[in-house]
Amino acid sequence: MITQLVNWFRRKKLESGLERELHYHLDRRIIDLERSGLPTGEARRQALLELGGIAQIQEEVRDIWLTRWLRDFAYDLRLSTRSFLKTPSFSIAAVLSLVLGIGATTAIYSLVDQVLLHALPVRQAERIVLIDWRGDQVANGFGSWNLMSYPICRDLDKQKHLFEGVFCRALTTVNLSTGDDYRPAIAEIVSGNYFPVLGVEPAVGRVLATDDDGTPNTNPVAVLSYDFWEAQFGGAPDVVGRKVLVNRHPLTIIGVAASTFKGIDVGQVPSIWIPASMSEKAIPGFKDLLDRRTRWMQVLGRLNQGVTLQEAEAGLQPWFKAMLQQDTRRAGFPIITPERRREFLNSSLVLTAAPQGHSALRRRLLEPLWVLFAVTAVLLGLACLNVSGLFLARGSARDREIGTRLALGASRGRLGRQLLADSLLIALVGGLLGIAAAPIAVRTLIAFLPQGTAPTALHAGVDSRLLLFAFAASVAAGLLSGLAPAWQAGRRSLVSSLRERGGTAFGGVRLRKVIVTAQIALTLTLVVGAALFVRTLDALMAKGPGFTTSSLISFGIDSLRSGYSPPEGNRLIRRIDEAIRQSPITEASAIAQLPLLTGGSWNDPMTILADKRISTDRDVNLNSVTPGFFQTMGIRIIAGRNFDERDARAPGEPGQRSAIVNEAFVKRYLGGRSPLGVRICEGSGPDAKPNTEIVGVMSNFSYRGLREESEQAYFPFFEGEGAGGTFYVRVRGMPESFFPSLRAIVHGVDPALPMTDFRTLNEQVDRSLNSEHMLATLSGSFGTLALLLSLVGLYGVMSFVVTQRTREIGIRLALGAMRWSAIWLVLRDALTMILSGIGIGLPFVWALGRLVESQLYDVKPADPAAIAITIVLLCLAGLAAALIPAHRASCVNPTDALRVE
Amino acid sequence: MLILQIVSLEPLHGYGIAQRVDQISRSVVQVNQGSLYPALHRLELKGWLRAEWKESETGREAKFYSLTASGRKQLAAEKHSWARLADAVRLIFDEGAR
Repeated sequence: MITQLVNWFRRKKLESGLERELHYHLDRRIIDLERSGLPTGEARRQALLELGGIAQIQEEVRDIWLTRWLRDFAYDLRLSTRSFLKTPSFSIAAVLSLVLGIGATTAIYSLVDQVLLHALPVRQAERIVLIDWRGDQVANGFGSWNLMSYPICRDLDKQKHLFEGVFCRALTTVNLSTGDDYRPAIAEIVSGNYFPVLGVEPAVGRVLATDDDGTPNTNPVAVLSYDFWEAQFGGAPDVVGRKVLVNRHPLTIIGVAASTFKGIDVGQVPSIWIPASMSEKAIPGFKDLLDRRTRWMQVLGRLNQGVTLQEAEAGLQPWFKAMLQQDTRRAGFPIITPERRREFLNSSLVLTAAPQGHSALRRRLLEPLWVLFAVTAVLLGLACLNVSGLFLARGSARDREIGTRLALGASRGRLGRQLLADSLLIALVGGLLGIAAAPIAVRTLIAFLPQGTAPTALHAGVDSRLLLFAFAASVAAGLLSGLAPAWQAGRRSLVSSLRERGGTAFGGVRLRKVIVTAQIALTLTLVVGAALFVRTLDALMAKGPGFTTSSLISFGIDSLRSGYSPPEGNRLIRRIDEAIRQSPITEASAIAQLPLLTGGSWNDPMTILADKRISTDRDVNLNSVTPGFFQTMGIRIIAGRNFDERDARAPGEPGQRSAIVNEAFVKRYLGGRSPLGVRICEGSGPDAKPNTEIVGVMSNFSYRGLREESEQAYFPFFEGEGAGGTFYVRVRGMPESFFPSLRAIVHGVDPALPMTDFRTLNEQVDRSLNSEHMLATLSGSFGTLALLLSLVGLYGVMSFVVTQRTREIGIRLALGAMRWSAIWLVLRDALTMILSGIGIGLPFVWALGRLVESQLYDVKPADPAAIAITIVLLCLAGLAAALIPAHRASCVNPTDALRVE
Repeated sequence: MLILQIVSLEPLHGYGIAQRVDQISRSVVQVNQGSLYPALHRLELKGWLRAEWKESETGREAKFYSLTASGRKQLAAEKHSWARLADAVRLIFDEGAR
């Protein structure tokens, strides 16, 4: 089969070879026959007779080279190409429809593949599993999703009957320097067996091994990522043994990881891997590596060959239950209520397949991407229908040609195949152009993705998987769009098609109407979907974050990662704060320990001592801020008082601690009661001491993101040891113009201090809404495209119908029908299609609404307004498209129409 | 099988094979020269024959066919199965004669 395909491309050479071969035979035979005494002419005749027809042999040999159907198919393609070149406007319209469909689907698929489907480039990725704790870990922690402690990972690694190895990892941002300047970089803190268990090889030197992760703080080594090595060391081969500074601590480079390996999180590509034993250097102030009650790492393992996920999960439970019991007796295990203890002991370990690694980006994009993929698939279907309609239209123009071929003895199957070859050719050309356009489309898509995605994480290139997908999509599109015309050709009666004069065949019209109806149904679904997403974005924008974003700039400072001790860092922050406040550009300025609208937060359950002692039933979002914070942000204090200098006392100084909670907190936990004076504290255990007094209530505003409405409690900043935080500066005027002055102020205090996430709050709001932006913009443009495609289809069919019925309309007009009745005749037809399309589409709309419900905000999945607007829009646009042919119908001159016959 | 057998002795061109076929089976089988070439090309496509252009005994370039390793295997297999068939047939005839 492959050889035969290859033969197609070298058929010229094969032909000439065969011809030479046969001529050689013939000449030798003639010579031999002449020797035996025959005259030259006779010898030639005899030799030719013996061989039995050169052309026939050639034909037979060709069949062997290419097989029959392949040759036929090749000829079909050639014929198709010729006929397409003869009708360029038709071909361009058809190809364009498919380029849009295939290009959009391929671009979205590129992201789906990279973010959701692509397995890690490691040995046998299908055996990698994520291990997660279900239940209460009775632990504190930081980071997000599927966290456990480092010692538990070490214990799991000993379960060799189930796992080849279990490793753990945590991502953090470090200040990384190769000598001169510091810049923030993503570091992955990993257990020593990370590389061996994954099966990742070094490109230079060696990767981390189990021995590298021994006694804490004794082995300052690191492995660089290939990209970082290339960018910072120019790919120098002697990099091993050199040093990098991580938060100003020197680590010795032992090697560079393989170029294909970019960590196990598709959205966060680390520049450096650091053994867990050195985590204190990577995370300033972190001392809990060996603490079983600090959860901060994701734990993944490689199953033994032949062990299934279920077996491993069941096999772990006996050991795990024993470990839980043992944990409760361990020194340092907190005193907890019997109920919580029960919950702890009922915990279990859950395994999920993780051949794609672990990624917060994937979690976030899972639904939006699938929704968009479904949308583009529908769009592709719509484009196919459009091409089908075009082919049917052309088919009726080619009626006579096809009829003649049938009459000459072509089989119906052969003709159908010819028509399929037509559509496949169009689809493949469309696919090719679609692939050519894909990188641009993918780059545009990547720009929509959530913040923090490293530019290296996703690529816009075209790889073999994408090519394969585009090819499959093109072939599917070709078959789909060729189906209706081929079927139509198969049904045609030979006699009628020859008897009819060209251009008067009625056969394709009903099928074309069905196609347009289907297009309307699909369009309705897409446009309603787009309307839902646009309304969601609108609602979120209208709601806003709850504070004034204009003229507001934020940036992060982390002094500990720049080598400051906590007290020094605290003094540094104060100096910067003072310098900014004294600057003439500043209207107001404040510091929050954690940034707003980044998706993350400091959160913990709380204990409230009002009439009685209660614990919150879910985490409260916490933050600590300097006294000017609420004025700077424009957040109202509804009751009680704001923080002032009294509250910002240094750590360790005695006195009442204070907090400000938001309205949602009061509503959920304090009912109608006055919140002022109520005591609260972080934590929900019996050992929690509610010693902080609520002094004020603030209006609700967004912390993690715009969608959430959470309970929040804010503490004064300098009570804790603040050595870093996010500065919020309200300036006088256009915020962008003040970036250099702010940078100058900070660098005046410490020239080497990096400023992270330096941007305006308006930009921050946009970033936090990027998946909503992506859904609204893309589904909006796809909906518009869909509408255009189906309007073109509708227009095409109606024009055709008018041409077909010119005679009938002419007779009607001659018999005294009014012009408007001719218009109505056409519009009625169009309206029937539109309305039945809408009727068919409505259930799909309902299903789609259910599907995307979780992506919506403040909009019902079956939002009547969105549906009503879409229906009106579709009807109006459809009627407008039909009005042009209808007008033409009304202008039919009765005498002309009759004379045509 | 006939072609494979002939080519297994020495590399030959099409005309040579035709002559050899003629000689060997003069009276027994009549092979149409016209069907020789499709057969050769089919065997080449199956990978049992290898072809190359070489100078022939008359000094002109001709396409010479020779047996490949898998062709040799195929020939052996066919010989073997033919021998078994022939044995079986002889056995039947011997049985009948006794």
